[in-house]
Amino acid sequence: MSSVPTAVQTDDPTVVPKPDDGGRGMLDSRVSVGLQRRVVLRGLIVAAVVLVAGLFVPDLITSSYYMGVAADGVVLGIMAIGIGFLANRSGLISLGHTAFYGGSAYGLAIATTHWGWSPTSAALFAIVGGTLLAVAIGALVIRSTGFGFLMLTLAFGQALYAVSTLTSVRSVTGAFDGISVTYPSDSTTFLGLSQADLGQPDTFWPLAWICLVVVAFALWLVGRSRFGVTLEAIRENEERARFSGYNTYLPRLGAFAISGACASIAGVLFALKASYVSPDVLGFQLAGDSLIATIVGGFTILIGPAIGAVLYIYAQGKFGDTGNLELYMGLALIVAVIFLPGGVTGWVVEQLRRLRTLTAGRKEARRS
Amino acid sequence: MNLAQVLNGLALGALLMILSSGLALIYGLRGVMNFSHGALYMLGAYFAYEATNQGLSFWLALIVAPLGLAIVGAALELGFFRRLQRRSHIEVGLVTFGIALVINRVIVLIWGDDTHPVSAPKAVDGTTNVFGTDYPTYRLLIIVVALAMAAALVLWLRNSRVGLHIRAASHDTETSGILGINVDRVSLVVVCLGGALAGLAGTLAAPYFAVSPGMGQSILITVLIVVVVGGIGSVGGAMAAALLLGLVQIMGNVWLPSAAVLVPYALLIVVLLWRPTGIAGKRV
Amino acid sequence: MLRAKVSAALIALLVSGGLAACGSSDNSSSDASSGGSSTTSAAKSDGTPLKIGLIPPTSGALAVFGADEVKGWQVAVDQANAQGGVDGHKVELVKSSSDGQPATTIRAARKLATAQGAKYIGGIMTSPEQAALSKQLVALGALNFNSTGKDDGLIGADCSPNAFRSVTGSAMDVNAIAASLEKLPAQTWAIQAVDYSTGHSAAAAFTAAAKKAGKTVVLTQYAPLNTSDFGSYISKLKSAKADGLFAVEYGADGVAFVNQGAQFKLFDQYKTVLGFNMVSEPLFKTLGKKITGFYNNVGYDVDADNPFNQAFVADYKKANGVDPYYVPADTYMAAQILFAAVKKAGSVDPDKVKAAMAGLSLPDLSGQNVTVGPDGQAMRPSYVGQVVAKAGGPGGLGFKIVTTTPASVTHPSVDPACKS
Repeated sequence: MSSVPTAVQTDDPTVVPKPDDGGRGMLDSRVSVGLQRRVVLRGLIVAAVVLVAGLFVPDLITSSYYMGVAADGVVLGIMAIGIGFLANRSGLISLGHTAFYGGSAYGLAIATTHWGWSPTSAALFAIVGGTLLAVAIGALVIRSTGFGFLMLTLAFGQALYAVSTLTSVRSVTGAFDGISVTYPSDSTTFLGLSQADLGQPDTFWPLAWICLVVVAFALWLVGRSRFGVTLEAIRENEERARFSGYNTYLPRLGAFAISGACASIAGVLFALKASYVSPDVLGFQLAGDSLIATIVGGFTILIGPAIGAVLYIYAQGKFGDTGNLELYMGLALIVAVIFLPGGVTGWVVEQLRRLRTLTAGRKEARRS
Repeated sequence: MNLAQVLNGLALGALLMILSSGLALIYGLRGVMNFSHGALYMLGAYFAYEATNQGLSFWLALIVAPLGLAIVGAALELGFFRRLQRRSHIEVGLVTFGIALVINRVIVLIWGDDTHPVSAPKAVDGTTNVFGTDYPTYRLLIIVVALAMAAALVLWLRNSRVGLHIRAASHDTETSGILGINVDRVSLVVVCLGGALAGLAGTLAAPYFAVSPGMGQSILITVLIVVVVGGIGSVGGAMAAALLLGLVQIMGNVWLPSAAVLVPYALLIVVLLWRPTGIAGKRV
Repeated sequence: MLRAKVSAALIALLVSGGLAACGSSDNSSSDASSGGSSTTSAAKSDGTPLKIGLIPPTSGALAVFGADEVKGWQVAVDQANAQGGVDGHKVELVKSSSDGQPATTIRAARKLATAQGAKYIGGIMTSPEQAALSKQLVALGALNFNSTGKDDGLIGADCSPNAFRSVTGSAMDVNAIAASLEKLPAQTWAIQAVDYSTGHSAAAAFTAAAKKAGKTVVLTQYAPLNTSDFGSYISKLKSAKADGLFAVEYGADGVAFVNQGAQFKLFDQYKTVLGFNMVSEPLFKTLGKKITGFYNNVGYDVDADNPFNQAFVADYKKANGVDPYYVPADTYMAAQILFAAVKKAGSVDPDKVKAAMAGLSLPDLSGQNVTVGPDGQAMRPSYVGQVVAKAGGPGGLGFKIVTTTPASVTHPSVDPACKS
């Protein structure tokens, strides 16, 4: 937040976001500058209710397989909402979030296995490390936009993949063989969860779910804050925002770092759950999959990418058998981009809105 | 670095040159980075395999496969690029990403997962003595074809009427349209040509590498890097960057084999720090 | 903790109770092999089926091998069921699949072991998948039978008491090559290896063995995995003065290396070309006659002269129309090891079957007997063969076995990192 210049003139008419963004309460925030306490409180209550409700999911889904799908989907989803946040707030499409996801997964594996750290401190280290990596890479790539940004992020992600497989770092990363996550002793736990608990979807679930809700709530807060408004102004017209006195570099870098932090959290969760990290977590396929999940889920709505991720994991289990997963994913991406610009969730919201105007219109007609 | 290694670098660069010039052409005109270019290249290799398997000579395959890919390019232009030209370029890029996935799988459904052989024709299967070094004739052929293609493409873009239109439309699509250039037709020519070049590269690669389902994806990232290093959208820049990467890659293989896989990424980062718009800057 | 127990109990109830809740959707991708009874009720009776879940890769470059693994299991299962099952237990294959990614394979294994009651897992292809599954096996209460993952870590740092391996490991094959070095004509060697653990350990073992046999290694170079252009490496090899080439390149890399080497006329300058995992029966057609005379490690001798092998070859050929090679053969042996252990345990309970592995001895396709070590490794011999013209073989080629090295030589002791 410190990156936002204090001289922001949010009532300057030139930087007021377009009215079609008004659904996010921009007018309120413009008057009171930043977050309104009542709105935050309402959001907090909603988040708390969702959080508690989600903890009962393992009681509803008794199949261990579907529980596994749900847990994997939530982990991928945390990365996807990070990618979606960046796409929505800054208009930047990243194919390189695997760098932070895989980077933090390796961070956790290396800290526990090689350095003998407890999983808790290793997880903290990995998330911080993944976020710092995002700041470093972001500092180099954030000036570019569009395809330049997309390909630079892809190149950095793939470069990290190549590094992880080098024979010279084999003693650290295990190269193509990967690295097993070994805790210092059998009795070590992560926040009270043993390594075996973390491997079981139903005992792993609360951890993943809490992370998802907290991350989503934090992103929601950021989006509604003055920082979020600044980001939108920059997205709509970078040049104009710059002339209006904004520092456009730091807010974009901030958004990239936040989005990278989400991927880092997801990477740590993955490493905790799987207890095994291989170069796949940095690979091109995961980069593509996470982006497809984001697009198909729809990133105009904050949690859309997470829903896309769950759908993706479900489809992976369903069609992986036939080998046609790639085919269906490609078709889903094409259809989503061409016909459902807001993704699945955007479409659903659009239908609901249409329904509402329809019923409202009918009421109106009856009244007159 | 002896002569054989320089030739190795040129051969690799030559293949990348054919591929990346097509990619840069499409980008210049449609503003879309075509992520299915690797898949088109792979499709070209499979067309060549199928053609030789059906008894056609390799020389004929060298014509048939690019023609087939030109048709695929036309389908892409008519089915996607033209329809979506009012959409944001990045969205169209994502569509090509999806197209790549579909083509990859369709290839496996048709030709299976195996690695297929395509042998070079007898006339170029041996070695040729180049200044005292025996070097595979087939690799020399790739270098010659690529250089000839590059010269022809540059001359055509510079001197022909269509070339003028392409350059104009790449520079400013809207104004060219106003000035009476049929941008849709120019675009059809360019995307067909880009597809044909991918097909040519795939055909040439078939006896060079092996024809297998992973070949498109592994080369795609390298070609994307070449295009960015060359200066996005610049055909000449892409050609220069391709040769540069080929040579630097081989130097890496010879002198620093343990980190040779990092060469393309290192080149990308160095060039972009030195010259953020790539070798050619913003020229077409 | 309590909830974990409750859900475990729930799962157990579901499995033994006939999968009432999610049976319809869960079983869509599986099929009981021999179309026999699909009832999963009535636990602990003698008629309990022996359920084996298979997770082969069905997409990507390894899908062909995945399909051949399934064929190996199928022949073993059909043979067993034709004789009334294994110790009275009818054998059922539950087929799942993977895209080769560890995460997908783990999900499939969990579904097989918990929802579909298949506590015996097979058909997993790659070593990373095997290593990832090893971490989960005990929690799943399942046993894994690996017939393709050759990495040494699987019987070392990544081993599991619930994992067994029928295929000989990389180190075993390298040791067999080292033991055969004396019999090969070349004296000065160049080594071209993949920059991967297998490549490095093979090069190191080869160099040590060469020294012992009084031969020299003049050049050792590594190419990254997934290299497609070998030009620069071949140019270097050509200028090295060697009369023998030891090449550790496999898969698409191996094909590219052999094809490009032939274009450079590289192989003409050697007395001996010795491959490690480079040429094998599935690639004969792709590589063609230019590999005639190459030596390579061989996992299975299809011509082994004993009735056990001949029966397998005949049944395999009848079912699939071609001769088996190492993938179906090693897979068939995985099935035989499982069946022998079930017979010895007199039960299909995974814990009892696991206990029965110790001291187990059964006939091998090689004609010798095979035992299972405390690290889960089947003690089977490794071969070195030479590619020769063979009528009816794939691409008109076949292997002639040159040396046979028993497991007591190739795998003399258990890795201390793998405590039973």
